[in-house]
Amino acid sequence: MIDVNKLWTKRRNAHVTQTLKYFSLMANSGLIVSLILLIVIGSVYYAKLLQALPENFPAVFILTLVFSFWLTKSPIRTLLKEGDLVFLLPVESGMKQYFSKAISSATATGAFSTLFIFTLLWPIVQVFIHDGWKMYVTFGFFLIAAKVFNIYVSWEERRLPYRSHQTNYKIMRFIVNFVYAYLLFNEAYLFLIAIFAIMYVLKNFVFGVFKKQHGYQWEMLLAEEQALKMKGYRFVNYFTDVPALKQTVHKRPLLNSLASFSFKKKNAFSALYMKTFVRSGDYLGLYVRLILIGFLFIYLIPAGWWQLIVVFLFFQMFALQLFTLYTQYRWNVIFMIYPIKQDTRVKAFQNWLKYLLIIQGALYGIFYVVLTGDWLIAILMPVAAILYSIVRLPSMTKKHITLTS
Amino acid sequence: MKPILEVTDLTGGYLPNQPVIHHLDFTVKENEIVGLIGLNGAGKSTTIKHVLGLMEPMSGTSKIEGQTFREEPENYRSQFTYIPEMPILYQELTLWEHLELTAMAYGLEEQTFLTRVRPLLEEFRMDNKIKWFPSQFSKGMKQKVMILCALLVEPKLYIVDEPFVGLDPLGIQSFLEYMVKFKNNGAGVLMSTHILSTAERYCDRFLIMHEGRLVLSGTLEELRVRSGLENATLDDIYLFVAKGKVT
Repeated sequence: MIDVNKLWTKRRNAHVTQTLKYFSLMANSGLIVSLILLIVIGSVYYAKLLQALPENFPAVFILTLVFSFWLTKSPIRTLLKEGDLVFLLPVESGMKQYFSKAISSATATGAFSTLFIFTLLWPIVQVFIHDGWKMYVTFGFFLIAAKVFNIYVSWEERRLPYRSHQTNYKIMRFIVNFVYAYLLFNEAYLFLIAIFAIMYVLKNFVFGVFKKQHGYQWEMLLAEEQALKMKGYRFVNYFTDVPALKQTVHKRPLLNSLASFSFKKKNAFSALYMKTFVRSGDYLGLYVRLILIGFLFIYLIPAGWWQLIVVFLFFQMFALQLFTLYTQYRWNVIFMIYPIKQDTRVKAFQNWLKYLLIIQGALYGIFYVVLTGDWLIAILMPVAAILYSIVRLPSMTKKHITLTS
Repeated sequence: MKPILEVTDLTGGYLPNQPVIHHLDFTVKENEIVGLIGLNGAGKSTTIKHVLGLMEPMSGTSKIEGQTFREEPENYRSQFTYIPEMPILYQELTLWEHLELTAMAYGLEEQTFLTRVRPLLEEFRMDNKIKWFPSQFSKGMKQKVMILCALLVEPKLYIVDEPFVGLDPLGIQSFLEYMVKFKNNGAGVLMSTHILSTAERYCDRFLIMHEGRLVLSGTLEELRVRSGLENATLDDIYLFVAKGKVT
């Protein structure tokens, strides 16, 4: 008989060890320096942004919206593994303790991260709602209470066998959370008590009923666990290579034209790289995110030639991330045995990266010129991309090839 | 008949000084299907990896059309296609794009590709699935994608690793018909399998491996003579060898 209590402890320890290992890897990567730099610059401009906000800034509404989403989204790491569908099914009745530990652990993380987000937004509360440590404690307490409620209730929600039903209840929770947060930020505590009553009823008489009607939805729980795991990996992947990362694929038919090449042997890899880029959520998402964050930085930092350094940092971040694509097909035998020279493959990869970097640089340039009217620096941005791809890419590729072969 | 693949005194493995396969000698000629047979762990996959040029031999050579992989890597690999035991697909590409990529990578003309691909898709009943992504395919369908890619190129040599697992009976039939057709047109096939009844019917010669060595080889008739088992089926001979009775 499997001791589910020990199993949870074992898995949690393994999870913590792995997370710590990844943290140390992240700390060692060069990217963390640029990230810290960006955070420092970011926080300076956060303060400036606060001062620049107009008197009638809808702080209550925005905070309410942020927390309604945040509270509704209640992820639970169950640390389930694929094999569990076979090996743990027989001990389903004993899994209650295992899952209750998972819920406790999710509650702790949820409470901590709620407080973290609230602390990040606290300057806005100070300026627009109410200042003072009592307010911080009160708001913090109520938000954490709501988070705990959401995690417990959403666990019962996960027993529903159909996604569409789960979504309906999620929408219901969203509405409750919205009202709750709205009353909280308006400091209407009396009404809040009424909401508490509603939440009590929901917990015991709506969500509580699912327990009697349904078992665990193993496959969905596993899918959620894997999605969360991948999300963590993707984050770490910004800093260091994560071999376990599985890519999710989106069809994006509108972008297909970007990846069409004429039917020639030399275009085989270009077509493959471009299609992978266009359809994989991670690469394209990363590209768009970096471009948008780049815009934000160009906007926040005073105009001048140093903007080129910022842009350069973003090229570096993008290129570093995209090198994972070069190694993505490392284990694909079919890919390895194509009768195509290694040179051709390297060239296809570099050209593809160059192409994307130039687009990135051009977009930054356009944004910059619209913002400042300074043509010279704007034009230098795509030029910097070309220079970057000529100077940096070959040595980076060389390093990657030696690392992976 | 001209040999296409010539393996001479091939020894190799994953760790230095610990070879997994020992002194293999065999050929695959034009117009023949050669069955590579052995227990799990007998060294079949390792042999295939050496032939593919994915592993470097410790000693001996594997030549295709008289050239080793070292001498002419691009040329060596353009002579064959490979159907792996476990289907390996690009998650980001549709069925059609898999075929297109393969055709491009092996230097087919677009017109040739288009004339070959339609009948293949129909034969394997995949013609209504060309826009599908691998995540939508069952194991058998993935295997079909691998088979389609390999058949599309029409190379001199086919290297096939356990093609029947997960394939439906119609798929197996279509695959075997194609193999016979290409064989009659002059191609050679090296096929590793455990489905001995099928191997017995379709293979012209057999290579029986045991613990990394080639212990018996030849036509079914020759195997019977060498093992001393008259009128034996391939199954009988294989079991006889697998129990270590031939050295």
